[in-house]
Amino acid sequence: MSVILSIPTLGLIAALQSAVVSRLPLNHGTADLMLVLLVAIALQKRVNTAWGWSIVGGLLTDFISGLPFGIFTLSYLGTTALALALRKRIWRFSFLMQLLVVLSGTIISHSLSYLVIFLQGTSLDLRTVLQTVTMPSLVLNFMLSLPIFILTRDILEQFAPLEYNA
Amino acid sequence: MNNRFPKSYRTIAISLAAIGILALALSGTFTALSRWITTPLIAAQTWISNQYRGVDSFLSASQDIQKIRQQNTELQAENARMQAQIVELQQQLVELKILSALLEFARANPEHQYIGASVIGRDPSPFLRYIIINRGSDDGLRRGMPVVTQNGLAGRVVQVTANGARVSLITDPVTRINVRVEPSRSAAVLTGSITGDITLEQIPQDADVQPGNLILTSGLGGNYPPNIIVGQVTSVRTRENALFQSASVQPVTDFSDLAIVLVITNFEPVDLSPLIPESGSP
Repeated sequence: MSVILSIPTLGLIAALQSAVVSRLPLNHGTADLMLVLLVAIALQKRVNTAWGWSIVGGLLTDFISGLPFGIFTLSYLGTTALALALRKRIWRFSFLMQLLVVLSGTIISHSLSYLVIFLQGTSLDLRTVLQTVTMPSLVLNFMLSLPIFILTRDILEQFAPLEYNA
Repeated sequence: MNNRFPKSYRTIAISLAAIGILALALSGTFTALSRWITTPLIAAQTWISNQYRGVDSFLSASQDIQKIRQQNTELQAENARMQAQIVELQQQLVELKILSALLEFARANPEHQYIGASVIGRDPSPFLRYIIINRGSDDGLRRGMPVVTQNGLAGRVVQVTANGARVSLITDPVTRINVRVEPSRSAAVLTGSITGDITLEQIPQDADVQPGNLILTSGLGGNYPPNIIVGQVTSVRTRENALFQSASVQPVTDFSDLAIVLVITNFEPVDLSPLIPESGSP
């Protein structure tokens, strides 16, 4: 699956994230559509451009976000590294693997955001952050995981059979 | 028999019989008889008529059904078009109401110049309260310009591109705004939070702040113009040995439903950073 294809695809996802998904909060948490999609892609066997997709997704989100540049790229690279490490070690994948990596990715992303805001001089109450932002975000990410996992798998089977089934 | 009664007698007899029958009919003598005859007749006629209608409608149904189906399809399409039009008009009506309110705000505050902008997105990070608007440096927007709604202060521009800008809302956890409380005119600092609630900090202990008091920008610090309404005090917290009081504030702007905002373009924020001594310097 070409990295060139990732630019329009993830560009659309970034626009959807900002225009729609971020406007639909659960308590004060929002789903991270980009993260869930990148995990679903990285977990597909024989997709050997997961790093490229992760970098493009991270950079696009960094362009949109007000957080210091690179935070989302770092988060997504860390999550992709975890997904690829699991893919190498575990022979058979299930949807539970997607949930596990999305859980880890959300924690990585939120920890980095929390740290950056703390370093900028704003102290946030950790308990409030966990209760009102991280947990609701996790729930939303889990809800998105199943449809995106299935959709990604089906699309890859349909449009990238050589790479996917090789 | 014809020879025994002359023709004139027969005519008279028939006429008398006819008059007699007519008289009996008018007097109601034949009503029972008539009912006995007409009841089965009407029933039979009704049955025949129904059968005829059934056959007739069966024969002409195929053509009618075709027509009805065609009409139904046309009406359904028309209905869908009308529904879409209604939604569009409702959306336009909402936008018109907002624009009308914004225009009223601009008229009420003629000291400022404004540019209207649509909110096209929000920050992907749930840690930040930022919105993205569809106006940028090409439209004259600069970093630091205040952003308002028809109700009051919304935030300020923190980053500008050619066709878009990022606005930090007053509910952002990093926000610090110098405000004053009316009518006591006490100075305080407004802070945002991760939950989107805004709080008044550093209210002097002797300041008389009550629920319902209005919060306006003070203009101190040079980041915002003075006298823009921000919100209303909902509750005040005072501790015995604390240096300051604090208060919860209900913002006048509904941040969950921001669609159109006004950017104040004739306000130049003052950069005070050169006046602030660096840590470690004498």
